[in-house]
Amino acid sequence: MTSARHEANAIVCRDLRKSFTVQHQVYGSVKVAAVNALRRRPRETIEVLKGLNVTIPTGQTVALIGRNGSGKSTLLSLIARVYRPTSGTVEVNGAIAPLLELGAGFHPDLTVIENIELYAAILGMRRAEVRAKLDAIVAFAFDAPDLAAKIDTPLRNYSEGMKMRLGFSIAIHTDPSILLVDEVLAVGDEAFQAKCFRRIEEIQAQGKTIVFVSHDMNVVRRAATRVIWLADGVIRLDGSTEDVVRAYIEASS
Amino acid sequence: MIKELQELWRFRELLWQLVRRDLKVRYKNSRFGFFWSIAPPLMQVACITFVFKYAGFANRFQSYSAYVLVAIIPWTFFQTAILDASQSILHMYGVIKKVYLPREVVPLSSTIANFIHFMLSWLVFFAYLIFYVRAPILPTIIWFPYLIVVQMMLVTGLALLVSCLNVFYEDIKYMATVLLNLLFFLLPIMYVAEQVANAPALAAPGREWLRLAYMYNPMSAIITGYRKCLLQPPHPAAIGGRPSLPLDPVAMLITGAVSLGILLACYAYFNSRKWQFVERP
Repeated sequence: MTSARHEANAIVCRDLRKSFTVQHQVYGSVKVAAVNALRRRPRETIEVLKGLNVTIPTGQTVALIGRNGSGKSTLLSLIARVYRPTSGTVEVNGAIAPLLELGAGFHPDLTVIENIELYAAILGMRRAEVRAKLDAIVAFAFDAPDLAAKIDTPLRNYSEGMKMRLGFSIAIHTDPSILLVDEVLAVGDEAFQAKCFRRIEEIQAQGKTIVFVSHDMNVVRRAATRVIWLADGVIRLDGSTEDVVRAYIEASS
Repeated sequence: MIKELQELWRFRELLWQLVRRDLKVRYKNSRFGFFWSIAPPLMQVACITFVFKYAGFANRFQSYSAYVLVAIIPWTFFQTAILDASQSILHMYGVIKKVYLPREVVPLSSTIANFIHFMLSWLVFFAYLIFYVRAPILPTIIWFPYLIVVQMMLVTGLALLVSCLNVFYEDIKYMATVLLNLLFFLLPIMYVAEQVANAPALAAPGREWLRLAYMYNPMSAIITGYRKCLLQPPHPAAIGGRPSLPLDPVAMLITGAVSLGILLACYAYFNSRKWQFVERP
C-alpha cells in the first residue's frame, strides 16, 4: 500500500462512501433467511458516509467531531480496515494502531503477561518487540507496586478500570505511525488521564499521525491541530481547531 | 487467493498466539488437562467395545477395541474442530469489529489447536497398539502422514465454512451438532466399512451408487485409510465372509484431491463473505 508519491500523506480518502443494509431481525438464522426469501422483502440500505474526500498529512492530529450517527466512528473503522468501503478508496501509509474499545481481546483466565502477548499480537506487534517492551507496558499501566507484582496471576483478579489501563498501555506501546482513538481518552482516573495526554503529546512530538473521535471539546482543543466536523455523512466544516470548535458549539446551542 | 495467503503469512505470529491461547485456556483450569480431553474418547471406545463384543456383533475380531480407537481419534478431531470453529468468530467478534486482522486467522487458530490435540491423541493410540495389543507396525504406515494432511485439509475447509455460516445464521451450530451426531453412526467407526459394503442389500442392482457414496465419501475413506495402514486386516469371517480389501492407493489419492477441492472451495466462499461479518445485525 505504501507508495513513494504519497508518503507525505498518512491517510487519503477519495469519494469515500459506506452504506449498511438495514436488518430487521435481532440475529440471523436459516429459518429467518428462508422466510425472508419467500416474502421477498426488499433490502433497505442507509448511506452513512456520502462521498468524503479527506487528506491527512503525516504528523497532524485530527479530531473528528459531530453528533451521534454523523459517521465519525464509521470513518475511523474504514481507516482501520475493519469495514470495506462501498465505493471510493482509503489509502493508508504506515502502520495503524487502533485504540478502539480497549481490552476486547483479553481473556480472564490468562495471566496478565499472557494477555499482553495476545493483545499485542492482535495489534500487530512482533513477539521479540513485546518481550522488549513488557516492563514498560506494565509500568505504564500499573503504577502501584502491588498491582505490578501480580502479573503472573490471571487477569480476572483485576478491576475493569485496570484492564482498560492495560489495554491503553499496550496499544500505545505498539509504536504505530498512525494512531486511531475512539472515545477512549476517558480511561482511568485523573492521574492516569494526565499520563495518557503526556504520552499522546510525546507521540505528536515524534511526528506521528493521530486521528481521534471525541465529544469533549476540552480534549479536542487541547490535543487537535485540525478538526473535521461531520454531519449526516458529509464534511460540514474542516479547518483549524479553534474555528471549527467555535462554529460547532454555536450550532449546537 | 494468493493475496489472501500472503496476508495470512504476515499475521502468522497472531495465528500462533491465538493457538497458544486456545491450548492454554483449555489446559489451564485443570491439572490433568490433556487427560480430560482424551478420557471421553477412551470411555467411548470402552463402551462400544463392551457392547459390540458381548452383544456378538464383533466377537470375531481380534482386538476390536484397536479398530474402534483408530477411528475414534480422527472422528473426535473432526467433530470438535468443526464445533469449536462454528463458535470461533462470534467469540472474537468484539475484536474483529474493532481491529483489522485477516478473519480466517480465527477459525484457523481454533482448528490448529484441535490439530495439536489430535496429534497428541495418536501417542495414546500408538502406546496402546505397541504395549497392550502388541501389534507390529505395518509398512503401510507410510500412508499415515499423508492421511493426516488430507484430513487436516478436509477439516480446515469445513471449519472455515461452518465458522462463516454461523456468523450469519446462528442456528448453524445446532444443525452441525445434530448432523455430527448422525454422522457418528453413518461413518465406519463402530464397525468396518466392508461390513456395510459387503451387505447383500447393497449388492442389489441400482444400489451401486449408495455403496460408492458410502465407501468413498472423504471422511469414510480417511477413517478406512487409517485402519488399513495401521492395523492388520480383520479376519474375513468378522466382516461378512469376504477378505478385507488392501489399502487402495487410487482411492487415497482421490480422497486427497476431493479434500483439497473442499478446502479451496470453502476458503473461496469464506473470502467472499468475510467483509460482511462486521456488518451483521
